[in-house]
Amino acid sequence: MDIAIAGLVCVVLAAISKKFSLPSVPAYILAGLIFGSGGLGLFTADKVSDTIAEAGVIMLLFYIGLNLNPREISEKKGMIFHSGLYDFLINFSLIYIISVLAGFDHTRAFLVASALYISSSAIVLQSLIENRKLIYRESEIVIWIMVFEDIVIALLIVLNNPETSDLIFFMLKVLILTALTYLLSGYMPKLIGGLFQREDEVPALFAFTVALLGVAFEEFFQIPAGYTAIMLGLMLSGIKRLKEIILPFKDVFLVLFFFFFGISVNLSTNGLVLGLVLAAVAIAGKIISGLITGRHLLKSWLSGLEIGLDTVARGEFSIFLIFAFGSGSEVSAVTAAVVITSIIGAFLSKNSEKIKISASKMAERFSSTQ
Amino acid sequence: MVRFIGLEGVGTKYELETKSGDKIAVIFLLNKRIQVYIQEKSCEKPCSIEITEMEAKRLSSILGGVPIEKERESVEIDFMGVPDLTLAMHTYTVSKKLHGKTIEELAIRKRTGANIVAVSRGGKTIISPPPHLIFEEGDVIVVIGDKEQIEKFEKEILGI
Repeated sequence: MDIAIAGLVCVVLAAISKKFSLPSVPAYILAGLIFGSGGLGLFTADKVSDTIAEAGVIMLLFYIGLNLNPREISEKKGMIFHSGLYDFLINFSLIYIISVLAGFDHTRAFLVASALYISSSAIVLQSLIENRKLIYRESEIVIWIMVFEDIVIALLIVLNNPETSDLIFFMLKVLILTALTYLLSGYMPKLIGGLFQREDEVPALFAFTVALLGVAFEEFFQIPAGYTAIMLGLMLSGIKRLKEIILPFKDVFLVLFFFFFGISVNLSTNGLVLGLVLAAVAIAGKIISGLITGRHLLKSWLSGLEIGLDTVARGEFSIFLIFAFGSGSEVSAVTAAVVITSIIGAFLSKNSEKIKISASKMAERFSSTQ
Repeated sequence: MVRFIGLEGVGTKYELETKSGDKIAVIFLLNKRIQVYIQEKSCEKPCSIEITEMEAKRLSSILGGVPIEKERESVEIDFMGVPDLTLAMHTYTVSKKLHGKTIEELAIRKRTGANIVAVSRGGKTIISPPPHLIFEEGDVIVVIGDKEQIEKFEKEILGI
């Protein structure tokens, strides 16, 4: 019953945000916050909603893996590395420092930095398409940054995993899974690709099951479900049809995840204030890293500003990481920061032309007064 | 020089710079829509359009130099369920020469192998016209056939 109402709320929100070309992710989270235990109290998280939320993030990570074709990535590894490097160094360390200053211990500061370093691929890519920016070289760099971040996510899931009582054994398991993925990614599509071409229920059922297999891996091998999901996606990324089959599952479960996540969060005042600070730092960080990346790769500060403005929005990955590994006030803070940066980020990306014009005018005035 | 690059999570991009320095970019999005950008050399901001696959096909046949004057337009139809089947339909306007003649009289099918599948007359459409239908000047006819049959039809029936 609750799920149907949650779904209905999200359908309305999806339609409205589409109409006004606003990002839908913050809308789902805000609706969850309003209807949930911290707001009106109309919904409470239960076992079913938790399972759906978990399925949502696993589907998301599996889908990310599917879009990371090892062969295509390795062809562009230089570009991807150079595009993503400053973004990682600057944003991760900035948020880490602020989190430590705010009183978090190193583990939690590391989690907050992991969560808020990563931009929202969904919002960023959507705004590149909707704002018709795909002709620009800057947009390509933004896309490589997103790919770089997607790869780093896998690493961050492993590094944030708290159940590492025997670190060497844990890393060994992760390495074996990674090596297996690499070895099998060439054969698996040929071996089971045919299963996804059938006309009966097998393709959808099988795709759904494989996507959720990560949860089983976590139970049997204590490897984080999210990491396995990315690896499984990578392994099967050669099967084009699988992407089409899994997309509707991912859409439904992920939207419900955002909503149910919102329900479970109790925004504290402290968290909210910290969230505001983190949002400001997160926005400034991306603009700085964009400027440096653009200056470095395209020899232009203005290109850099474009890159920065396009990558401000945080979203699904931040929420996923804080959902999977967070517990205290960092959850409130990251949630608030995600809602703020996603809305401001979408706005900045849409108006980047105007902002660039005023920025270059300001720079001119500044240099003429010198 | 065409530059081709896969954009993860977005689609595939083709970029072309003309001799005069203008820029064209075509992006095939994952949702099957296609964005086309053009940017004049001296212009800072590109123009863009977003089109469907079908519209892209029409555009490509125009750019490909297929003659698409009104009387010789052709449309290709692909069927989702039958991937290797493509039907080409051609439209022609009936000239004075054919006025008053019937399909049967002209023995179109027998002489050329091509088939008339529809006739449009004064805004009304006759699908699968009967053999005794009398052509009138200005009728738009839709003809189906392979390349050879269409060539024959154009030569023997229309005399073009």
